[in-house]
Amino acid sequence: MPSEIITLQLGQCGNQIGFEFWKRLCLEHGISPSGVLEEFATDGMDRKDVFFYQADDDHYIPRAVLLDLEPRVINTIMTSAYSKLYNPENVYLSKHGGGAGNNWASGYSQGDKLQEEIFDIIDREADGSDSLEGFVLCHSIAGGTGSGMGSFLMERLADRYPKKLIQTYSVFPNQDEISDVVVQPYNSMLTLRRLTTAADSVVVLDNTALNRIACDRLHIQNPTFTQINTLVSTIMSVSTTTLRYPSYMNNNLIGLTAPLIPTPQLHFLMTGYTPLTSDANLSNHHNPLSSHQAVNVRKTTVLDVMRRLLQPKNMMVSTGPDKTNHHCYISILNIIQGEVDPTQVHKSLQRIRERKLAQFIPWGPTSIQVALSRSSPYVQSSHRVSGLMLANHTSICSLFERTLNQYDKLRKRGAFLDQFRREDIFKDDLTELDESREIVDGLVQEYEAATRMDYLQFSTNRRGAKVDGLGDTKSEDTKSLHSADL
Amino acid sequence: MPNTNNNINSDNVAHEFKGLISKLREGVHPKDSQELMDRMVPLALQYIHKYPDIFDSSPPLPEIICLDKIMTILESNPMWGDEDKPGSVFHEHYVVASCEIEDHRTRDLLSNLILFSLENDSVYGKEDNEQTGPRPRCKTDITTRSSCSSILHSNSIGLNGNKNGVSVKPCSYDSTQNSVGLGSVPLPNYIMEITKQNSINTEHNVVQNAIYSFLGVQGKYLKKDVITGRFKLDPLTLKSISSVQAGMLLRLSELGYYHDRVSKFSNTMTGYNAMGSMGQAFMAKLKLELSEFHGQVALLQDQVNMFRQAQMRDYVDRDQSWLDRQPEQLTLFKLLCWYMEPLRRMQWLTKIADACQLKKGGDLASVLYTFLNNGDPMVNQLANDLLTVSCAPLVRMISKWMLEGGIEDTHGEFFIESLDEVGADRLWHDKFRLRHSMLPKFVTLELADKILKTGKSINFLREICKVEEAVKDRKELKYVIDNHVSHIFSYVPDTTWHAAIETCYSQTSKHVLDIMVGPHKLLDHLQGMRRYLLLGQGDFVSIFIENMKDELEKIGTDIYSHDLSAMLDAALRCTNAQYDDPDILNHLDVVVKTPYPGDCGWDVISLQYTVRGPLATMLEPAMPTYKALFKPLWRIKHMEFVLSTKIWKLQMGNAKALRSLDDEISKATYRLHLFTSEIMHFVHQMQYYVLFEVIECNWVELQKRMQQAKALDDILDAHSKFLHAISIGCFVNTSTNMESHLEVVYENIISLENWQANFYKDCFAELEAREQMQIAIAESEGSGHFGLTTEQKMERDQERKIFEQKILTSCRTLEGFAGSYGKAVGGFLLALNSSDDPNLQLFGTRLDFNEYYKKRDTNLSKPLTFEHWRMSNVYGNAKSHMGGRYSMHPQTTSQFGHQGHTSLSWD
Repeated sequence: MPSEIITLQLGQCGNQIGFEFWKRLCLEHGISPSGVLEEFATDGMDRKDVFFYQADDDHYIPRAVLLDLEPRVINTIMTSAYSKLYNPENVYLSKHGGGAGNNWASGYSQGDKLQEEIFDIIDREADGSDSLEGFVLCHSIAGGTGSGMGSFLMERLADRYPKKLIQTYSVFPNQDEISDVVVQPYNSMLTLRRLTTAADSVVVLDNTALNRIACDRLHIQNPTFTQINTLVSTIMSVSTTTLRYPSYMNNNLIGLTAPLIPTPQLHFLMTGYTPLTSDANLSNHHNPLSSHQAVNVRKTTVLDVMRRLLQPKNMMVSTGPDKTNHHCYISILNIIQGEVDPTQVHKSLQRIRERKLAQFIPWGPTSIQVALSRSSPYVQSSHRVSGLMLANHTSICSLFERTLNQYDKLRKRGAFLDQFRREDIFKDDLTELDESREIVDGLVQEYEAATRMDYLQFSTNRRGAKVDGLGDTKSEDTKSLHSADL
Repeated sequence: MPNTNNNINSDNVAHEFKGLISKLREGVHPKDSQELMDRMVPLALQYIHKYPDIFDSSPPLPEIICLDKIMTILESNPMWGDEDKPGSVFHEHYVVASCEIEDHRTRDLLSNLILFSLENDSVYGKEDNEQTGPRPRCKTDITTRSSCSSILHSNSIGLNGNKNGVSVKPCSYDSTQNSVGLGSVPLPNYIMEITKQNSINTEHNVVQNAIYSFLGVQGKYLKKDVITGRFKLDPLTLKSISSVQAGMLLRLSELGYYHDRVSKFSNTMTGYNAMGSMGQAFMAKLKLELSEFHGQVALLQDQVNMFRQAQMRDYVDRDQSWLDRQPEQLTLFKLLCWYMEPLRRMQWLTKIADACQLKKGGDLASVLYTFLNNGDPMVNQLANDLLTVSCAPLVRMISKWMLEGGIEDTHGEFFIESLDEVGADRLWHDKFRLRHSMLPKFVTLELADKILKTGKSINFLREICKVEEAVKDRKELKYVIDNHVSHIFSYVPDTTWHAAIETCYSQTSKHVLDIMVGPHKLLDHLQGMRRYLLLGQGDFVSIFIENMKDELEKIGTDIYSHDLSAMLDAALRCTNAQYDDPDILNHLDVVVKTPYPGDCGWDVISLQYTVRGPLATMLEPAMPTYKALFKPLWRIKHMEFVLSTKIWKLQMGNAKALRSLDDEISKATYRLHLFTSEIMHFVHQMQYYVLFEVIECNWVELQKRMQQAKALDDILDAHSKFLHAISIGCFVNTSTNMESHLEVVYENIISLENWQANFYKDCFAELEAREQMQIAIAESEGSGHFGLTTEQKMERDQERKIFEQKILTSCRTLEGFAGSYGKAVGGFLLALNSSDDPNLQLFGTRLDFNEYYKKRDTNLSKPLTFEHWRMSNVYGNAKSHMGGRYSMHPQTTSQFGHQGHTSLSWD
């Protein structure tokens, strides 16, 4: 069916958030865990066919491909109530089941080895679609499978399906706690490179911010993965609601993302959601986020929702303090759900503009876009209005800067590089790492440049910088890339 | 006096006659009696001939009675013995003598003369003539004692209508009359009595004249003025009445004048009458008023006649007391007293009827209505009656219209008219309309509208929907409406009549509404048009475009609609449209217009929503608006499609592929990306504004009103308002130059698409050339040769130079687009900002949410002062030199700015 989207879930994290996502979609569309349409949902005016297709016996099957190199998470899924939902042919588990050992290089190489089997599945899914719009990738950037194999897949997808969009929901690691994965900075750096070069749009899900939001705003002391993933699934489902409940605009992925992304590199999107307490209702269905919810004292109007979405504390990305206060919004899309008086929307916009609640780029026209969306009739919300913000904000580069710093610390000491050298890609040298750093640094530079008026001339500036310092590596880079392409 | 010339002659006749009478009285021998009679009768006849009006003032007794009395007198003569029977002898001879006289009146007069002469011992006429002294004239206080008789002699009026030239003399007051009136003189003074009788006769004549004049009949004293129609005194007879009488007569005659006027207005022949059936009703009422008035006058006449009869009877009975019964006689004073009331009524009738001249229908009713609520209760009642009567036909028309939908209006009086030349297909909107000239003042426009809609609805139900259901409680409603005519002009429209109208209206409206909303699914169709024609169903539109994208790019002449309908069906099947009612979807169609040279698929393909049956009647007038609206919406969807699916998507994909060429092309690509994002922002905001703020917001409003709608017209009104608001919002047919600015923006998008295609073609050619060379190098290295000959390297470098040159050129072209685009957007924003529609102003600020344009364009940051507004108008209206300079100014600076920077960076 039209404008289909194929979801790829990679690794432990990717499969977990994917699982929550599908659970949420089933709930919203009135599809039972076994894929059968519930009695009450037979006359729905929603579009299930974007994410599901119907089998011969009319039951709904997600267009999802589940990939992992170790069986733990997938086995959990396949023994859950939702086991019958998925097409078993779309579930791929590495035969040896050893996993990638949190090693990007391992994941990348295994992806290379398994690519035929994996692309069998993906091609089959793509062929089964009338007009495939794109791929959605769920993964984390810090682990092994999601980051390594994900990176490989992204490159291959961009190659194989150059006209399809590649959107990712990428989970960034929690910076507040010490990770047990020591090579996390390497993994992140290498994945970030692919996210920069191969993906069309990246929705950044920052575990740091998610945990903080769970603590501060939802009052959960030690949030579990499931609780965090519920937040994530909310974001994922709401960000696709205009596709699933079509109205006059933003009814396809491209229409949703194109206005947000001005230049190909600046495609990292932040999200914000309010009111967050509404998750309680959702989570009460399955696994309560918290038993001691704060009493709902909020009054939600469109203006409130839009104003709160602009507050940093509601952002799902921890950007760090902006000391110079120069960061700004490149673009904003607000998806508003609930009982909205249409006339209120532009009043709110006007108010926001008058009070200058948001700072925008100086080099081009931009504004807050609003998409009013219907919400599922089967999921009750205690809030009249809720909103999700997808924003392209320059301060996201602080996240990459942090990764750069951590990477630099490790790289300077040359720590933990042995396990990388074992894999083919790093057999000869570690230029791959340096190139990645170069590209991510370029990305940070570009975001910084985007805060300034002279962004229009950024391309030439960057060129000058490259000519100065890194001319040689660059030509190498081009060469290697091309050989890979060929 | 005409008779004075014959005095001598008549003296002889009178003398001889007198002698004969005395002979007769003294006793005539029966033998001589015949001879006496033969002489006497001719003499009497002569006398009568001379004075034909001798007994005029007191009607003559019938011949038989006279003869009877004469016989009694003769018999009572003691000179005669019983056997002689002088009476019988007289009778016998009289009959013989007068047998040749055939005229009854003459016979009556003859017998009367003889009787009178016998009784009075004198000749009546002669004595009369000789009497020249002042006559007594009644001067009594008029008591308003009513002496009406219930008996009405119809022939009494015309009895004395002849010219009386003999017995009337100029009158004056006489104090002696008092002594006579007291009746203290025991012996009858006949001369006195006769003069008195004559004075009464004069008075009687004047009164009679006045009564005539009430009816517009000319009399002896009163003649009509030919021109004005008013009565005036006849100068010939003026001297015979006193000036006071004359004055009173004149005053009384005014009533006659008004009577004449009213009767003129009530007669269709005169041409002054009101027209039409309501006019007829009005005239009937006038006639009724007139005949009532006639009745009153007849009573007066009757009173006169009664008095005369009593007078005569008394006279005959020798009862002298009649002379003293003055108060019973009608006098001018009494008439003056009486005539006030009828005069006022006649005056008002005249006034009203005059105002209604040549009026008809509602106009007539309006005029009558202005006379209502006069402080005078009589007038108020009169106007009320007239209006009630006149409105009766109108009310009948209303009830016929409201209950059966029929118009029976031969005179064009009804305030609703049906246009015969308008067919059934336009029944709802055009067939019936209000005829404002015929709308009575007291029927409010709102009420008239309701009445119009009710009948229209009935017609619509019957002719278009083929529903033959009569209104519920039709008979009762009809009864109420037809029988409460006077309610129609009630001051406060809360009468039972209005309630019945309201019931009728609401019932019928609800019926139509139910039928349209129910079986005919009006609301669903409106929703359908909003979804498909106004592109509210976004997923359908994008899939539809996606399906036909190849067709849309073809040249207009290569497109066939049958291919498209399959694509339409496919799009409908696979989007959410599939859940829509098939009834609605069946109305949706794709049409291909006749292409003009140079048109592509986008220009000729459009969606169409065909409505049929009753819906067509309802919605037909709105369809051109939908068509007009579809165009800009379709265009903006086209732009969005080009921008996102073609331009942006290609950019994203090619950015990955062309990464290796970044050095050479990044300047161009960045300009391209940013330009694209700028346009994208514009198109998305535009689309958001049109689809959401204009259409959606108005749609919500429309839905609200549709739910509240009590009648179909409420929905249709709301709908047309909705369309109107959208037309403004979509810049359809606006007088401003926004449309042209938009067109420039759109053209730039198309140019950009073409530019980009060429640009990428060049890029990929270069990329391929480089890759080929790399492969060649690799191969030659593999085979042990040197990688590259100098020629090859030179050639490559040359190509590379050319490529760089090409990129530079395309960069300049791109700047050109950006320039013209920026100019158009600047103009558009300026037009928006200087618009007086607050919504458009807000849209302007939204388009420039982060004040990007405002900072670049000084015109935009100026406050909206009059000066600025005027200048912007100059700028907007004409592409004059002045305007051009103004519009160029900001743009040129910005362009210079870019170029300045670029040149710097290239250095």
